[in-house]
Amino acid sequence: MTDISVRGLTKRFGPVTAVDDLTFDVPAGRITGFLGPNGAGKTTTLRMALGLITPSAGTALIGGRRYAELPHPRRSVGALLEATGFHPGRSGRDHLRILASTADVDSGRVEAVLELVELTSAADRRVGGYSLGMRQRLGLAAALLGDPRVLVLDEPANGLDPAGMAWLRRLLRDLAAEGRTVLVSSHVLSEVAQTVDQVVIINNGVLRYAGTLDGLGSDSLEAAFLELTSR
Amino acid sequence: MRTEILKLRTTRTPVMLLAAAQLVILAGVSGLFVSGDADLADPFTARRAVAHAGLVSIFSLILGILAVAGEYRHKTITDTYLSTPRRGRVVAAKLGVYAVVGVLFGVISSVTAVAATAIWLTVKDGSLDLASTGVWSTLAGCVAWNACFAAVGVGIGALIRNVIAAVAVALAWLALIEGIVGQLVGDLGRWLPFRSGQALEGVPFPGVDLLPQWGAAFVLATYAAIFALVAVSTTVRRDVS
Repeated sequence: MTDISVRGLTKRFGPVTAVDDLTFDVPAGRITGFLGPNGAGKTTTLRMALGLITPSAGTALIGGRRYAELPHPRRSVGALLEATGFHPGRSGRDHLRILASTADVDSGRVEAVLELVELTSAADRRVGGYSLGMRQRLGLAAALLGDPRVLVLDEPANGLDPAGMAWLRRLLRDLAAEGRTVLVSSHVLSEVAQTVDQVVIINNGVLRYAGTLDGLGSDSLEAAFLELTSR
Repeated sequence: MRTEILKLRTTRTPVMLLAAAQLVILAGVSGLFVSGDADLADPFTARRAVAHAGLVSIFSLILGILAVAGEYRHKTITDTYLSTPRRGRVVAAKLGVYAVVGVLFGVISSVTAVAATAIWLTVKDGSLDLASTGVWSTLAGCVAWNACFAAVGVGIGALIRNVIAAVAVALAWLALIEGIVGQLVGDLGRWLPFRSGQALEGVPFPGVDLLPQWGAAFVLATYAAIFALVAVSTTVRRDVS
């Protein structure tokens, strides 16, 4: 069981309720898009699922366990959060070597994921000199390092050029086809429409829709999205 | 722990702090001899000179602060907690590794201080007698001071997760506040962190009341443990966003 299940998840920051009683499921073997306008609570939700933010109420379970209870978190769940979590003075390869060491992953995986995200030639340069797209690829490499069954990716398409977008789409499809659970947040709707099997849409921290793209019933994802998030 | 060592080896900051510390030692030892304050007949002169290896524990302190607060600054803390969701373990590993790093820092600084002192004593027609003057005791204290301050730094960095604020608070304490507090509390002042560090060197300072060496080491280790424990139960548990 490698599904993600979110039940009654709530986060209050003082008087502000960022995420409000959210309930949805993310099944294995499919790509689930996690959509919402800026500030809808997407990142907060993903960070709660990963144990970085403590929920005010509710649970987010991965394969039936809280993230902190996973015996080998990195080998179970791969996460891409923001493209800024790098020490600028470190090389891309060293960044991954450090993660491999914390994750209890064989260091041979470092070369494998560098190859996979097509960063091998830049691996020895300092991350401070990377472009946004290269950082995003390095983040993806880090997420894939532990060969996890579950992937949680926050805005993975940020900073990628059209070729990079197409590459990412193929990668996600392959990963889902291998039976992995893939949860991808995004606000690039045209990209999402081409990539995902189903969507979870939130607005102001509240669930607006969870289900297949077809079930939205509008002509386009954009029309449905704008209608669902206009209130 | 292995990871913490790798983190240190893959950036340039530790080497730059170490280099800066050696320059401060060279300048400090030279200053003592150039100023003419050094009384070659005084057996404490050599110890006072090599004791500069202890003063640079301020650099060890900063290194320790960067261990945690630096991870928040660069947001690598997210990855660290994703790999090790039990955050208390992260802080404990850093405490252990940085105490050892502090020892290395102290040993390298001691070598520099001894070399500089030996050269100046030779220039002044004296010589550095390592065997008889308690120099070893002072050097051991210097190493312990560096180790303790690196661990205290980890505690401060975990407690105050903003690098600039943590370094500012630490330096303000050492440069200004401890002196004021020391005057206010009188005899209790010898229990304060910097005064404890000075005590570790085992060299008497005129007019300053100091703990015995072993007592000072114990006090500093306790400071490190208290800071780390308070941090683990407060700031370290907070949301990372």
